[in-house]
Amino acid sequence: MEHVRGPRPAAHPLGRGRSLTTPVAVGPLVRLLTERLGTTARGLWTDADTVEIQVDGADNVEVLRALRDDDELDFFFLADAAAVDYGIDAHFEVVYHLYSSKHPAWLRVRAHVERGNPRIPTITGLWEGAMFHEREMYDMMGIVFEGNRDLRRIYMSPDYRSFPQRRDFVLPDDAADSAAAGVNPLERPETWDLDRLRQAPGVTFPPSEFRDDAPAEGPHDGVQDGETATDKSRPR
Amino acid sequence: MTTTERPPIPDPIDLDRAEEARLRTAAGLSLTASQRGGEYAGFEDIGLPDRPPQTEREAEVYSLAEGEMLLNMGPQHPSTHGVMRLVVKLRGEVIVDIDPVLGYLHRGIEKLCENATYTTVMTYVDPMDYLAVMHNEHAPAMAFEKLYGIEAPKRAEYIRALVVELDRVASHGLMMGFLSLDMGGLTPILYAFINRDEVVDLLSAISGQRMLFNFFRIGGVNWDVNDEFLSRLGTWRSHVLKNIEMNEHLITDNEIFRGRTIGMGVLSGRDAIALGVSGPNLRASGVAFDVRKAHPYSIYRELEFDVITQESGDVYARYLQRIAEIKQSIHLIDQIIDRMPHGPVQAQVPGIVRPRPGRAYAAVESPRGLYSVYAISDGGPNPYRFRMRDPSFISLQALPKLMPGHLVADTMAVMASFDPVMGGVDK
Repeated sequence: MEHVRGPRPAAHPLGRGRSLTTPVAVGPLVRLLTERLGTTARGLWTDADTVEIQVDGADNVEVLRALRDDDELDFFFLADAAAVDYGIDAHFEVVYHLYSSKHPAWLRVRAHVERGNPRIPTITGLWEGAMFHEREMYDMMGIVFEGNRDLRRIYMSPDYRSFPQRRDFVLPDDAADSAAAGVNPLERPETWDLDRLRQAPGVTFPPSEFRDDAPAEGPHDGVQDGETATDKSRPR
Repeated sequence: MTTTERPPIPDPIDLDRAEEARLRTAAGLSLTASQRGGEYAGFEDIGLPDRPPQTEREAEVYSLAEGEMLLNMGPQHPSTHGVMRLVVKLRGEVIVDIDPVLGYLHRGIEKLCENATYTTVMTYVDPMDYLAVMHNEHAPAMAFEKLYGIEAPKRAEYIRALVVELDRVASHGLMMGFLSLDMGGLTPILYAFINRDEVVDLLSAISGQRMLFNFFRIGGVNWDVNDEFLSRLGTWRSHVLKNIEMNEHLITDNEIFRGRTIGMGVLSGRDAIALGVSGPNLRASGVAFDVRKAHPYSIYRELEFDVITQESGDVYARYLQRIAEIKQSIHLIDQIIDRMPHGPVQAQVPGIVRPRPGRAYAAVESPRGLYSVYAISDGGPNPYRFRMRDPSFISLQALPKLMPGHLVADTMAVMASFDPVMGGVDK
């Protein structure tokens, strides 16, 4: 009977809001960053074990090269590179996490990318291993890395036309309501309301195959099957 | 009497194609090159792109000089360690170039997690790197605790470190077996699975499940250690080193094994850093980067251990590195058991966690390297952005760099030495 869970153990005495772990001495790193990068780096912010700076997308190679090649900074290892979508009305961000053995903190570099023109220089010239990161970001977010020799889709098939991790990508669960990427809404029994289905933009199955009286018509609103609808995002 | 000329009997394959083309047109889908005819017709039948190359690199791989051929390894190949395809360009039996084609197992776990609550995210990350499930859960738990501003109790941190090190032993032990299996040695994998099963039984005694443990919680762990776990742990600990030594006798000094691994797939430390290779593979190339030391998380600040490295960076060094790390993990487990404090194993956390808006990065040392999570909260009940960096995904980039000049038969040895898990690669 010992294996059966008893009553919930007593609450941890340390409540919410207590500062985490031991604070790390990031002062020298912050000073060094402001000294070396000057006004290029904005929005300096620190965490228990992370220091964060923000840069313009066009500056990313210059900044990362400075961080990597400077003897005192020495951020030699690219720990992560990921893209963040801040919504239809906002912007993208490419976030780099760097590691240095000389500083007790991860360094996070957030590079701003315009949503209307999602282009940013590649950093494969600095770290070859950024290749898969950039291919993934291109595949999932549709950010174009200029100068990348191999900017192909990596997870989705080459003829796929949408960018699934954008905030305005509509999940298959919402297929009946909007333009889902490559999903046949008829596979879901609750979406057999064909009238509702036909009004949904981007649903391109031929209705005539399923109902004789239905007019054969093409996609609505010019939204093709597999494209990302820009009208609404999934309610959260 | 007139004879009517009979029409030629169509090839059934052509009939199928015509039917498929008709159906695809009716469904508004694009046609394949074979259905359209033309320059690239028939290319997709042999697994090649049926369209002009999209990038410089693709053009480089998929253009053949005199005497070269392309070979598809996978996606259903017993030694690709999952569903993955390697397009290998060959000159005779010598590899000229390799293009890994991924995505066969892509489940969009990041997107799933962005639509799940913080608590349920812990179940979605399990099947990623399915040989290091405890590590998969550890990094999100750390990131969410950071976001939420809560700390797991000390005993929970010790239990976490304990199960994580056990998982590392299981994962590294299996790699020893798979490496020799991929080179034709069938016996070690059987012993490796016997050893792994013992660890998995241990972990199932503490978590209730064998493979996808779902053991970590935000602010603690699901269960405290119990009697069954402790007694099994004692039994396991009494003979585990003997078992590992037996495996070593089978493999380490084996003449054939050494002949096929020493000096093969040599990755220099500089290249490994540039390629983002991490974990045991990086340390086997002589770079002492271990997240447990570099940014000590959990209780690793309190434990005594050194970062082990190897010199040569070849397949054999990566194998030796794993053996050394298994022994190191057992040493760590001893320390954890000795020092484990009493107390609760779970901090008080509400059922639906709503952290304040913010960002958190958490990295752990998984058996395959640096596994990290970057989570962004917007104040809602599910993460606004949930990013996972899987080490085996990044390590695969070393293959095109290492393989040219090797023989086809060595591909799998080199690949197995990196120990990738496709569930993690494809997310």
